[in-house]
Amino acid sequence: MKVAIIGVGQTSYGNKKHQSIDELVFEATKKALDDSGLEREEIESVVTAGSDALDGRGISNMVIAGGSGAYLKDEVKVADGGIYGLILGYLRVASGVFDNSLIVSWTKSSEVSTDLVSNLSFEPLYLRSCGLNSITSLALQTSTYIGRADVKDEDAAKVVLKNRENGLKNPLSHPLQKPSIKEINSSRFVSYPLRESYLPPESDGACALVIASKKRAKSLKKNCAWILGLGWVIDEYYAGDLIVETRHGVSLPLLKRSSEMAYKMAGVENPISEIDVAEVSDVTPYHEMMIYEALGFCRDREGKVLIRDGTTKMGGGLPVNPSGGILSSNPIFTSSLVRVAEGALQVMRKAGKRQVKNAKVALAQGFTGMSTQGSCVVILGS
Amino acid sequence: MKDDLIFIAQRWDIEFKHAAGETASTFFKAIMQRREILGRLCPKCKRVLLPPRSFCERCFVETSEWVKVGGEGKIQSFTIVYEKFEGLPPPPYAIAYVLLDGASTAMVNFVKGLDLNNLDQAIKKIKIGAKVKVAFKRKREGRITDFWYELV
Amino acid sequence: MKPHRIGIIGVGQTKYVTRRDDVILPELAREAAVIALEDAGIEFKDIDAIVFSLALDALEGVEGAEKWCAGTVGGFRKPFLRVHTGGATGGSAVHTGFFHIASGLFNCVLVLGAEKMGETHEAQNVLNQIFDPIYERQVAINAVNMCSFQAMRHMKKYGTTEYHLALVAVRSRKNALRNPYAHIKKEITVEEVLNSRVICYPLKLYDCCPRSTGACAVVMASERFIRKLNKRDVAWIKGVASCTNTYFMGDRMDDSGINDHADAEGLFLAAKRAYEMAGISDPKKEIEVAEIYAPFTTTELSAVEALGFCEKGESGISNERGVFDIDGKIPVNPSGGVLTANPISVTALARVAEAALQVMGKAEERQVEKARTAVATGEGGSLQFYTVTVLSDEM
Ligand SMILES: [Zn+2]
Repeated sequence: MKVAIIGVGQTSYGNKKHQSIDELVFEATKKALDDSGLEREEIESVVTAGSDALDGRGISNMVIAGGSGAYLKDEVKVADGGIYGLILGYLRVASGVFDNSLIVSWTKSSEVSTDLVSNLSFEPLYLRSCGLNSITSLALQTSTYIGRADVKDEDAAKVVLKNRENGLKNPLSHPLQKPSIKEINSSRFVSYPLRESYLPPESDGACALVIASKKRAKSLKKNCAWILGLGWVIDEYYAGDLIVETRHGVSLPLLKRSSEMAYKMAGVENPISEIDVAEVSDVTPYHEMMIYEALGFCRDREGKVLIRDGTTKMGGGLPVNPSGGILSSNPIFTSSLVRVAEGALQVMRKAGKRQVKNAKVALAQGFTGMSTQGSCVVILGS
Repeated sequence: MKDDLIFIAQRWDIEFKHAAGETASTFFKAIMQRREILGRLCPKCKRVLLPPRSFCERCFVETSEWVKVGGEGKIQSFTIVYEKFEGLPPPPYAIAYVLLDGASTAMVNFVKGLDLNNLDQAIKKIKIGAKVKVAFKRKREGRITDFWYELV
Repeated sequence: MKPHRIGIIGVGQTKYVTRRDDVILPELAREAAVIALEDAGIEFKDIDAIVFSLALDALEGVEGAEKWCAGTVGGFRKPFLRVHTGGATGGSAVHTGFFHIASGLFNCVLVLGAEKMGETHEAQNVLNQIFDPIYERQVAINAVNMCSFQAMRHMKKYGTTEYHLALVAVRSRKNALRNPYAHIKKEITVEEVLNSRVICYPLKLYDCCPRSTGACAVVMASERFIRKLNKRDVAWIKGVASCTNTYFMGDRMDDSGINDHADAEGLFLAAKRAYEMAGISDPKKEIEVAEIYAPFTTTELSAVEALGFCEKGESGISNERGVFDIDGKIPVNPSGGVLTANPISVTALARVAEAALQVMGKAEERQVEKARTAVATGEGGSLQFYTVTVLSDEM
């Protein structure tokens, strides 16, 4: 059954010390409802997505219930990134049991050390005491890629510059200075080969979507974003198993697999010509290039070419991250749902200054877990 | 290998600075500065929410104004804890949900000033429906434990 | 909406115990998966997608511990999703498995989880952290006393007594003797319950569940898959629904009596929706066995009322009359229920698993005679999240 995104709501991203976590969620949910034209009373399903450990709460959807519109509704939480909330929301509506669903994700990383929390994602037997957290594990993955694909430091700097310049046109973006290539190139190494300027900011924020069945979406007679394809898979937990494979194979094999699942469902055969705009999880600039390869935008090891020739810039053949991406705003657990929201705004033609002309098909992509253990691809159409 | 297994001791020790937000901050400041308990009024269903929230989850609208509630109220439910739980205070202690005069929802806090060592004696006094008053700490610091309930 | 024909074709449980020091969490989960697959007569390669049932990360000591388990339970490069609604997690996981298949994208889904809370030093310390750090946590609320508040209101509103609570504990313990997977297998008397030490008044030691370690898995499949497999023992899922109530328990304690903390309003609404989907109009007559998520005696009393097994306030007297005994009118928790095993992450999943075994006629010594329609529930948060699943032996 066809399902469409009919409403998008986002807070701006940055430090939100004036709002408690449920107030942040209320703001995004209310905006999404207003955008969809539905009242809370009409909502039949709510899917929440968040991290207890980041929130400092044992069961974080307890406090989120009110702000996410879930009072006395059929609600469930995916303890995972926001894009997984969209997947479950899709399954619930596509089943025919629900006519529509809210999907809400939030992050308030300003209240906690994310480095500490991500270290706790590593099991205590073999990994936790070995200096691993989200950044160092991404650095390990990156250094394998650099060796394999002959990517230069300058290529990474160009990705950062592209996304940060795009971010300046996004009114919701984390407030950041306009960067110069010199600043980017000369910033210190946090965990080699990742420079400080290659890491996303930590942002607070919430994002909500309203999705609906075909019948409901059509009756609203407005632009909506149809969910054409979905793909999500999980890979080995122990990154060491993967690094061996990645050295000899493709970058992000699991992302390749999830994109194949989504392309098949959406009937996409030639991604570079059929997709008009992509919002991907640039958790580091190197990852954006790996993502190009895994999504089939270019051949293996040639992600750098799309950056060098400007294909993925605004105005290029396939603009990637017109919103500024994660390098511009990173509400960690919510970032992947923001990709879907931004992709939806593009095909609904509501992306304002960051609108890609004639965007008919958008791709949104998210990761979950450490070392991008899980990945998800969503294809949206106008 | 039945008796020779290895155990890895670990602690989760994460510090959080939870933003109370403007609404809860106003509530705590009223307690600190004026010994007042404030609720938030929902303009639609007219409930006075305590603890105060910036929106009403039922009507899905922002709450509109502050309402000072009474310093007395009625116990809606209570328990007396006799077990020592890690991270919680030494027993015995009593906690109760109290509907303060003028509020629409009950707020939980400790009930102090009652001998709890004999349960049978204690539950003759502490009951659902019993009247309590709010008592404030001398040195208040912007926490929910700045006040507690006492039987009247 | 066309009716969905989705069934449970395999069930796997480990024995619930205090600790399992011989295995790590992923290995424990795999144990249940292997049993469930064998019961279904399929292999890991037949599974299209996995739903992982894991509640509080802090109880396992690993943030996102499902990802640690993913490969070990056959998730390698498969769609994999974790849900978490506290104690209701297992119910939410079954519903999520149902929606996977009902969406038309999948034919066979493994729903499983594992709990190793025996490794945390003090579970109630972790459970205190579910309450709001701004308004409530410092007032020493935990999962025990949130139910004490419910018991107090039920007693005040309906005249329920500690004796009625004790009857629930006695029956659960007695039933558990027949269940090879139960954690607590020791009979008790009403006097022993009433004389056990007070934990949070009015709840005493034997009104409370244990902390258990263990795993549970069910295999869910589409009608097409089931026909191809030529499977006969099937527990068909007839109704799924959940309901989320307000976070702050004080919102359920005004004098109106509406959405009262005594009454499990969330369960009432979830049951109403699930019954409607299942075409059940008179649960008293049509439900033949129930597996209810009740970690404390008081929770079960409110639950049987909310499920429509008796009128509001009559659960105490119904217990006196033996209505919910294993040979009574509506047997409740023939497995012994949560009072005799509570591995939080999979407790609600085990309710569905036990209900499935009942309608499949595979519950062995704890089998309820002629049980063809069953209901299983989950409860999580501050008595906030409820799930209801209706199962039947008929498609
Ligand atoms: Zn209201």
